[in-house]
Amino acid sequence: MLLEVRDLQVEFRTRDGVAKAVNGVNYGVEAGETLAVLGESGSGKSVTAQAVMGILDMPPGRITGGEILFQGRDLLKLKEEERRKVRGAEMAMIFQDALSSLNPVLTVGDQLGEMFVVHRGMSRKDARAKAVELMDRVRIPAARERVRQYPHQFSGGMRQRIMIAMALALEPALIIADEPTTALDVTVQAQVMDLLAELQREYHMGLILITHDLGVVADVADRIAVMYAGRIVEQAPVHDIYKAPAHPYTRGLLDSIPRLDQKGQELYAIKGLPPNLMNIPPGCAFNPRCPMAQDVCRTDVPPLYEAGDQRVSACHFSRECLNG
Amino acid sequence: MVEPILEVSGLVKHYPLTQGILLRKQVGAVRAVDGVDFTLNKGETLGIVGESGCGKSTVAKMLVNLERPTAGSIKYKGEDITKLSGRALKAVRRNIQMVFQDPYTSLNPRMTVGDIIGEPYDIHPEVAPKGDRRRKVRDLLDVVGLNPEYINRYPHQFSGGQRQRIGIARGLALRPEVIVADEPVSALDVSVQAQVINLMDRLQNEFDLSYVFIAHDLSIVRHISDRVGVMYLGRMVEIGRDTEIYDHPTHPYTQALLSAVPVPDPEAREHRERIILTGDVPSPTNVPSGCRFRTRCWKAQERCALEAPPLAVPSRFGEASGPEAHDCACHFAEAVS
Repeated sequence: MLLEVRDLQVEFRTRDGVAKAVNGVNYGVEAGETLAVLGESGSGKSVTAQAVMGILDMPPGRITGGEILFQGRDLLKLKEEERRKVRGAEMAMIFQDALSSLNPVLTVGDQLGEMFVVHRGMSRKDARAKAVELMDRVRIPAARERVRQYPHQFSGGMRQRIMIAMALALEPALIIADEPTTALDVTVQAQVMDLLAELQREYHMGLILITHDLGVVADVADRIAVMYAGRIVEQAPVHDIYKAPAHPYTRGLLDSIPRLDQKGQELYAIKGLPPNLMNIPPGCAFNPRCPMAQDVCRTDVPPLYEAGDQRVSACHFSRECLNG
Repeated sequence: MVEPILEVSGLVKHYPLTQGILLRKQVGAVRAVDGVDFTLNKGETLGIVGESGCGKSTVAKMLVNLERPTAGSIKYKGEDITKLSGRALKAVRRNIQMVFQDPYTSLNPRMTVGDIIGEPYDIHPEVAPKGDRRRKVRDLLDVVGLNPEYINRYPHQFSGGQRQRIGIARGLALRPEVIVADEPVSALDVSVQAQVINLMDRLQNEFDLSYVFIAHDLSIVRHISDRVGVMYLGRMVEIGRDTEIYDHPTHPYTQALLSAVPVPDPEAREHRERIILTGDVPSPTNVPSGCRFRTRCWKAQERCALEAPPLAVPSRFGEASGPEAHDCACHFAEAVS
C-alpha cells in the first residue's frame, strides 16, 4: 500500500466550539490506482487530504488521532523539516482554483522552475529548461514563449494544466487532486481529466481524486470512498457502488441524479440538511435524513461492516440497503 | 394553444473597450451577446446551456432589464420592453423576475428574511397593501418550504439551499409570469440541488410560471426543460425540444458538449465515444469570422470562415419532420448515429 490513512481524527477549535471535521477515516491507495473521495461540502474530504499533505492550518486545526502511513512511514511522526522533503517531491497536490493557487506576480516558468531549484538544487537556467519541458508535457502550446508569461495570461484550462505540471514536476508517487475540474467548463474538464489519467498511467502514480461529481468519478476511479460528516460511510470498487450502493446516503446521492426515464417526475431528494459539525447527531450521523433509520441508528454509531468483496459500509442495515 | 410570452430577436450586447482617460476612445468591444433569437412560450421552461463566457447570463440580465441591449428587441406579450421607460417599464418588470445563482451574495446580510422577501412590495405597493405584507411574506415562506416563523431571521442563519429558497420566494413575491433563473442550483450541494429543482417544478404548476432556466449542468437542464437552446460565444447555435437537442443534436458544438459530460455509470466508460475539443473558447473581443465555432470544429471548411451560418432548420433535412429537423446554425449540420 502506497498510502494508508488509519483512523484519522481532525478537529477545529473555534470560538463557537469544537468542529469535528474528520472522525476516524480509513482509506488506502496503491501505486497506479485512483481512489475517488466523494462527499459534499463539510464532509471532511478536503480536510483529510490536507492532513495527508501536511498543509492543514494548525491552529485552528488539530489532528487528535490516527496514523498516515506513506510508503510505510507515519507522516504524523516526522519533523516538519522531513515532512517538507516529502511534500512536493513524493506527494503533490492539485487544487480546485488554479488562479488563486498560483502566484500572480511570478511567471509560470519561475513557479515551475522553483520546484527544481528548491528540491533538486538546479541552476535557474536548467530549471527554466525543465519548466518548458513540463509545459510541453501537459500540452501547453508554444511552451517556450509562454514560460515567460504570468498566470493571468492563461485561460482556466491552461492554468489547471500548469498546476498539473507543477504537481508532476518531481515525479511524485502520489497525487492528491482536490476538485481539479470543478471550476472548468465541461469541454475543458474532459481535456484536463484525460490528461491527468494519461500522466497517472505513464508515471504509475497513486491518485486521490476529491470530488462531489458522480459523473467524473464513474469516468476515472477504480475505487470510491464516500464521506459524510467526517466519516467514510461506504468504500467499494467503482462498478459495485453504482450497481448497488450499500449505504442509504450513497443510494440517495445516486438517486438524485436526474435520469432520462424520470423526466417530468419529481427528482428523488435526500431530505434535510448535512449536520452541523459542532453538533453531530448521536448514533449514525445520517440518521435524521435516512429513510431506513431505526432506533438502533439513533443510539449506536455503526462500525464499518463488510458488504462484499473489498466493500465496507457504515450502516447497520447495509445488507438490506444492498438488496434494495 | 402555444402562446409566446417572450419573443427575443436580434438581441445584442456589446461592452465597449476604451483607451485613454480623458478622451475615452473606443478601441473595440466585448461582444458578449451578438444576435440571439428565441421564443419563450407560456407555461414552458426554456433551458439555456453554454460554457462560461458564452453570454447566457448577459441574456438573462437583459430579459429582466438589468442591462440595456445594444440592439435587438425583447417582446413581452407583443410589447417591446427595451423601448419602455418609466411607469410602463415598471409595470412590465413586475411580471419578469429573476432568481440569482449565488444565494450567498444575492441576499443583503443586514436585512431580515421578511424584509428581503417583502422588498418587492415597496417598489410595487399596488400588489400588497402595507398591512397585508407580513402575511404575504409568511405565505411565501410556507410555499417555498421554509418555516414562516423564520421571518425575522437573517440570511446567515440559513444554509445554501434554504437561502436559495429565500431567493425564489423573493422572485415569486410579485406573482410574476416569467422567472429567469440564472444557475439557480450550481452553488448547491448535490443532495440539496434536487430539493430546489423539485420546488421550482412544483411552483411552475402552482403559479402557472414560464421559466428561462440558465445552467451549465446539462442533466439538470434536461430534466426541467421543455425546450433547450445551446449558446456559444454570444450566439445561439442550436435550439429545439429537449429530446431533439439531447438525442438528435446536429450542431458539432452541441455534440461535443454532450459527449464531454461525464456519465455517472462506470459501465459506459469503455464504450463511450467522446469528442474532445481542442483549445479554448476564443475571446469575445476578437470573434472569429464566419462561424464562431470553426476554430475548434473538426468539420470546419473554407466556407465556415466566410459565411456565418444562420440559425434555421438546415436545408439538408429538407421537408423531413424528424427530430433532427430543428434550428441549428451550422453549414454542415448532421445527425449523429
